Amino acid sequence: MEKIVYSLFLVPWVLALAVFLLPGTHLHRLRQLITFLSLPLLSYLTYLVWNGHLPLQIETSHWLKLAFTVYDYGLLLYFLYQGIKFRDFLVTVLALFQLFLLTWVLLIMPESSVPDFYVDRLSAFMFLIVSTVGTLICIYATKYMEQENLERENRFVAILLWFLGVMNLAVSVNNVEWFFALFETTTLASYILIRFRWDEVSVRNALRALWMNQIGGIAILLGLLFGIKYYGFTHFTQFLSLSGKPAIIMIPLGFLAVSALVKGAQMPFHRWLLGAMVAPTPVSAILHSATMVKIAPYLILRLSPVIKGTLLAKLLIITTGFVFVSAGLLALTQENFKKILAYSTISLLGLMMLTASMGSSVAILASLTLILFHAVVKALLFMEAGIMEKLFKAKYIEDIRRLVERAPITVAFTSIGFMSMTIVPYGIFVSKWMAIEEASNFLSHGAYVGSIIFMATGGVILALLYFKVIGVMTRKRGEFLRFQLEKVPFVYLFSTVPLVLFVIVGSIFIAKLLALSINPVVEAVVGAPAPIMAKGLTLITPVSALYGWQIIGAFVLLLIVPILAYFVHFTGTDRVYEYTCGEKLELNIGTYNFFCIQVVEPFVETAAVALFVLTLVLGGGLV
Amino acid sequence: MSYWTAFILTLFSPVIGGFIYGLERIVRARMQGRVGPPLLQPFYDFFKLMDKRSIIIHSFHAFMGIMYLFGTWFALFVLLSGGDLLIAIFFHVLSLAFLVVGGFSVRSPYSVIGAMRELLHMVAYEPLYVLSAAALYLVTGTFQVSGILHSDHIPLVYLPLLFTAVLFSLPAILKKSPFDTAEAHQEIIGGPEIEYSGKFYEAIYTAKWIEYVYAFFFIFLFAGGNHILGALLTVLAFFFFNLLDNVTARVNFRQMVAFHWYILIPLAVTNLMLIALWRS
Repeated sequence: MEKIVYSLFLVPWVLALAVFLLPGTHLHRLRQLITFLSLPLLSYLTYLVWNGHLPLQIETSHWLKLAFTVYDYGLLLYFLYQGIKFRDFLVTVLALFQLFLLTWVLLIMPESSVPDFYVDRLSAFMFLIVSTVGTLICIYATKYMEQENLERENRFVAILLWFLGVMNLAVSVNNVEWFFALFETTTLASYILIRFRWDEVSVRNALRALWMNQIGGIAILLGLLFGIKYYGFTHFTQFLSLSGKPAIIMIPLGFLAVSALVKGAQMPFHRWLLGAMVAPTPVSAILHSATMVKIAPYLILRLSPVIKGTLLAKLLIITTGFVFVSAGLLALTQENFKKILAYSTISLLGLMMLTASMGSSVAILASLTLILFHAVVKALLFMEAGIMEKLFKAKYIEDIRRLVERAPITVAFTSIGFMSMTIVPYGIFVSKWMAIEEASNFLSHGAYVGSIIFMATGGVILALLYFKVIGVMTRKRGEFLRFQLEKVPFVYLFSTVPLVLFVIVGSIFIAKLLALSINPVVEAVVGAPAPIMAKGLTLITPVSALYGWQIIGAFVLLLIVPILAYFVHFTGTDRVYEYTCGEKLELNIGTYNFFCIQVVEPFVETAAVALFVLTLVLGGGLV
Repeated sequence: MSYWTAFILTLFSPVIGGFIYGLERIVRARMQGRVGPPLLQPFYDFFKLMDKRSIIIHSFHAFMGIMYLFGTWFALFVLLSGGDLLIAIFFHVLSLAFLVVGGFSVRSPYSVIGAMRELLHMVAYEPLYVLSAAALYLVTGTFQVSGILHSDHIPLVYLPLLFTAVLFSLPAILKKSPFDTAEAHQEIIGGPEIEYSGKFYEAIYTAKWIEYVYAFFFIFLFAGGNHILGALLTVLAFFFFNLLDNVTARVNFRQMVAFHWYILIPLAVTNLMLIALWRS
């Protein structure tokens, strides 16, 4: 069992090394094959872990601890070097500060015999996402880079594969110091990936991502430092033993939660994730869906039994809820397709952390469902964004106008992706629904009233956003005379079709999925499974039910009808041009851009800073 | 309510909605000192429209109009079948999606603007409906519509502010003055409806009748198990809504969203918080 867990980290690294060592344009096929191997290998390993005896605690030898410490210093020195090389003041100073804090932590760190690896079902759940969605993105990347820059393809794909291993490792360590090392390694990975094109904007955005995430790292180190000072705790499992005890000192937890907010690109630290869009599209796909930002909800989920019901949790609810709404609002002002997706990720990450901080079993279930479906859908949408960019040269909303006439498959997949983030009966909707109903039980607390307002308004703003984009795509001039599918390269189809299928099948069988697959994870996190039941397709929650016939009905309306719409031709009717009230003008129809919302952006950011500070100061008990 | 009653009610909802619409035209005319059309006028219109030559822009657009009818119909069935109230609310969003996508799919500025405003209508009233579902849960202890209809409590007594808010947003959901920016006949000539004609316009027209039933049934829920009060409430809401339609002028979409977000939603939240605090 231990060997299986280890191979989950090592297999991606070995594959990455193999890909890296096979440069040159002529070996492209071989690299593609090696990358493809990661999907069955990692999926099988995850399957073994999922079915094994969990939780698993692995004790490690002393030299590994030493190795991690050495690695930590190496990493931070590299950050320092980057800061000096690019004359970036913030990166340099923060790296120095991190070095100082790390040394301090190592000096006072007590010897502990707690196992350094802790693999429970939550870790296995993250493995599942990384090893399916993550590897599909890597496979996609081989084709994408073939169309962009075949010379550097080996580097790019190797970094992506290596990143998967790092992510797997990050969600299975128990030692907080190691977690810091891996947290910063993901920072490093994102830094390298964002600057991959090496132009001025890329480097600037990469450095921004670096320093913002360094702040997250500092927060972890501070959390660890105070954890040692007040409790002598260095491991997550030790922190978990605090759950249920009254009047605990919240300082370490406050700092850890803040690091999650930074990693999860919550305002005011959202700019690093927006900056990631300058990199090749698979980078955005992997940062937004399977890896990197998912550490944030993971961390909150880890800590949720301890922080449940505390002031910290309530402030987290308000902060993340605020981000959920305001990121959605700001997304309305964007014209760049990838930026719209980035803002909606920030927004939905807010919702994931909101539900994770609520801490009750149903809320955790909602959070996990969100993580799973969001990973799949965001990967799909970014891949589609890449396809639009490469095949149709479309980057802005204006460019995708009337795309439905040229690219029915791309439009259908993108629409399914967008709709699955808002409408019944898709997975993300179900989790939002459960979260609203769960929050209704606690309305005597201001935070929960806040959460319900945020969920109600945020959801509808995102619906407005997505329909705006779908509307632009589906505009067309006349009848579909000849129905012709666009030619999408096989690799692109191979990596997107499974995601679409999962979204659809997973949503139809949502009840079974939640009851059989996700509820065990909830049990691992909270200690008890959520009181939900699956009866056929019907999902029965403690207060209500989502009936199978409703799910099927919604699918018929949402899925079959739009496909049918291509083939329906009303015969015996006359075709005319648009009436437009009889006006005869040259028309160039755009869409609403909601520039009026830009006015509130400074206020939103100020409020976000205030909430962030409040979370740290009041929630962390620094008063 | 059993599935069969729900099914039959849903099946006949266009007829009920048509009568409500006919009655509305009379009531509105009387308020203006006119006689108004006969009660069956909407049905006469229906038959006349069915007779018209079918003219469409393209099949996708026409098909979306028809699907808007079926979507609304299905959403109404979800509401009447006694299932979860929140789900029913979100099904209403789903049905609206067809109208919006249809409106966007033609190259007509009025249609596109109207579809966008349709979405803004949704942004305005939707949070209020989610909040009222939560509030009804707080009073009656269930999200199930059938449970609310058999509750011993009368939600109206506990939720006066919220009910007022819902009453004021009724024009937004049914696109009546002062919140009729999506249709705004004098300005964008019906918005997403403009490019439909004949049978296909009929589909949209009927879907709107079904929305009447949907919206007024929502008002009916505020009486809980007391169905006589519910009927009274619905009639009062109907008159109030017509009065409002008659005496107000159209506001622009910003004013509409601002009114909902800054006045009605805080009103609802205040009510929600007070009742939750009182209960705890």
